[in-house]
Amino acid sequence: MKTVSITINGERYEETVPARMLLVDFIREKCALTGTHVACTYEGVCGACTVQLDGEAIKSCMMLAVQADGHAVTTVEGLARGAELTPLQQAFKAHHGLQCGFCTPGILMNMSEFLEKNPDPTDEEIRHGLVGNLCRCTGYVHIVDAVRAAAAQIRRGS
Amino acid sequence: MYPAIIEDYQRPESLQEAVAILSGYEPGDAIFMAGGQSVMQAMKSRMVRPRCVVDLQSIAELKGISSANGLHIGAMTRYVEIAGAVELAGANAALRDAAQHVGDRQVRNRGTIGGSCCWNYVASCMPAVTLGLGAIFHLLDPQGKTRAVQADDFFLGPLETARGDHELLTHLSFETTPRSGSAYKKWGLVTDALPVVGVCLKLSLDAAGRCSAVRMSLSGLPAGAQRAPAGEAALMGSDGSRESVARAMEAVVDSVECHSDKWADAHYRQQLIRTLGQEVAATAFARARGEQ
Repeated sequence: MKTVSITINGERYEETVPARMLLVDFIREKCALTGTHVACTYEGVCGACTVQLDGEAIKSCMMLAVQADGHAVTTVEGLARGAELTPLQQAFKAHHGLQCGFCTPGILMNMSEFLEKNPDPTDEEIRHGLVGNLCRCTGYVHIVDAVRAAAAQIRRGS
Repeated sequence: MYPAIIEDYQRPESLQEAVAILSGYEPGDAIFMAGGQSVMQAMKSRMVRPRCVVDLQSIAELKGISSANGLHIGAMTRYVEIAGAVELAGANAALRDAAQHVGDRQVRNRGTIGGSCCWNYVASCMPAVTLGLGAIFHLLDPQGKTRAVQADDFFLGPLETARGDHELLTHLSFETTPRSGSAYKKWGLVTDALPVVGVCLKLSLDAAGRCSAVRMSLSGLPAGAQRAPAGEAALMGSDGSRESVARAMEAVVDSVECHSDKWADAHYRQQLIRTLGQEVAATAFARARGEQ
């Protein structure tokens, strides 16, 4: 057992956990932040468990919780300020980008970092950025529309 | 898909500390964790069951790209950093070609060049590219001794390398030859998937614009990362014309074993070698001429 201290969405969580615990389970089970989803069986293929580690999108089933000791994690719960959604979240709502909604948290955590690195992406760049997130509603058109609209909104706002 | 019990987790802050921890365990009982994008999968499937995980994340010396006195890339340098490294041009541009299309954004934010090479998965890009570029692998043992291993001697076959059980790969170094260009391209079933076939080419041009030195490697075949000596011999003296490259790729197809599986049959793999070979040759020649 190891005692770890991980800051999630600005709040410090100190827990004693087995070394083999995956970060996604720490987030969901120890911190009760269930917005981070598991869609594949921890195989690292679906991207639903994507969170940001020190600001970068990563799959939280692909690392141990002990590896995140001392680091800052952002989950989907950390995006909105109270009831105020981010431009990316608003765009997903406006463009029907959620569909069933299961893959959405992972996509939001990946795309919010993607838009910081590439504020004016082409559709091809958006699709390339989405490779690590599976949507089994089988429709990426609305998701791409939402990311494109969010990029424009963020550029207008800044 | 959940790791077996891990008794201990260590996060050393120096190279010496890292090799010292590993040397305290029997071979295989403790493993180094770089980005973990392969090893975590192997741990979750119980293919490996380490008693101790030695996490390399805090060792600054393992990270980054240095262009002073030749090109050196730390073993813990991530794909995202290699993909965006503008200094990787000409002779070593193939590293960027590969890193830009490994896995997905999340994998590129964690995965490392050293981790990929030490894991040496049968269908992966970095082993083939570092072999194609003739990288030198620098290893450190618990006694503090270092040794340098040529790429041709480092990769011993899928999941096998020349790295000793208690050795740590610290960095890779590459030649920065003038009038040289390299390129890598793979084909997979979906965007940025593991290579069904990948082709890496590195070449140098003489004053007349003809190929005076060349290395070629392949990914995605049953032997893992492998050189293509028949193609290299046929490309010597080439001016980059489609006809000369086509002859070279026929020589490759005739000399390497292509397999059939559920992803592609052998004939399709041969066709991929021809097509990708033309594309990487065009890019490598252009880079060697300074056109890209």
